[in-house]
Amino acid sequence: MTIAEYFEFLPYGKYAFYIWFSYLVVFITIAILFIRTSSIHKKTFSQLRIKYSRED
Amino acid sequence: MWKWIQAFASPQNFYRISKKIIPWFLYPFIALTLVGLYWGLVIAPIDYQQGESYRIMFVHVPAAWMSMFIYIVLAVSGGIGLIWQIKLANVVAKVSAPIGASFTFLALVTGAVWGKPMWGTWWVWDARLTSELILLFLYLAYMSLGNAFDNPKTASKASSVLAIVGLINIPIIHYSVTWWNTLHQGASVSSVEKIAAPAIHPDMLMPLILMSISFKLLYGALMLMRARDEVLIREQNMRWVKNVIMEDGK
Repeated sequence: MTIAEYFEFLPYGKYAFYIWFSYLVVFITIAILFIRTSSIHKKTFSQLRIKYSRED
Repeated sequence: MWKWIQAFASPQNFYRISKKIIPWFLYPFIALTLVGLYWGLVIAPIDYQQGESYRIMFVHVPAAWMSMFIYIVLAVSGGIGLIWQIKLANVVAKVSAPIGASFTFLALVTGAVWGKPMWGTWWVWDARLTSELILLFLYLAYMSLGNAFDNPKTASKASSVLAIVGLINIPIIHYSVTWWNTLHQGASVSSVEKIAAPAIHPDMLMPLILMSISFKLLYGALMLMRARDEVLIREQNMRWVKNVIMEDGK
């Protein structure tokens, strides 16, 4: 039994695995882009805050 | 017009205005994605040749369009930064690269997953697939070249030149299905003859258009969010940046 056959119970039958796998990859990639964007934001602010507090 | 561009392109104004613009990208992105997904996964009819598998198209094609669109934005803004020394243009080019690379990655992966049931193989070294893979390498080369210099000005200059030279790959990707014999199908929407009368059912075309607009909005939101932080880093010796940072925690 291949993976594609295993997922046949999902909508889209014999193509279920391929379709849902592509949408999952898209979802994960977009989620990573957002998480990375927010971690860059936090890092930027904390680093700059340290820099300015040292100057004062 | 020029004055307006100059005013917006000043880092401080950009920082202030972009904050107001981001929600206008983010919320329509969410709404259009939901409608587009419902239309594409539920309403759109089954393809007479490919059955259900063609539904991968609604993420594959917009991702592939974005991979080229973002590269053009990157090269053009890199060029503007190079010629007119507009700092903001270099920022836009730099933060666009990882987003564009992600869309290229998505186009390649969803294409491979679509290729397996339709062509019987995950990958073939044909013109369309190879040129898209080269695009991914161009993005990666652009990012590593940008990180290879300590001075952001030198980094921008070197990587912009690379981006402009790499622009030659974009028409090659687009016309690869016409110029060479390939497994990849030809254009159904994005060619001069097809744009007025797309060779695709309206119920398949609509979700495709919705998803491609939603991906553009996503890029707009992510790019602005990342550009704001990049502006702060590059302008960190300016008084206004210090004010922004110190007022943030209060």
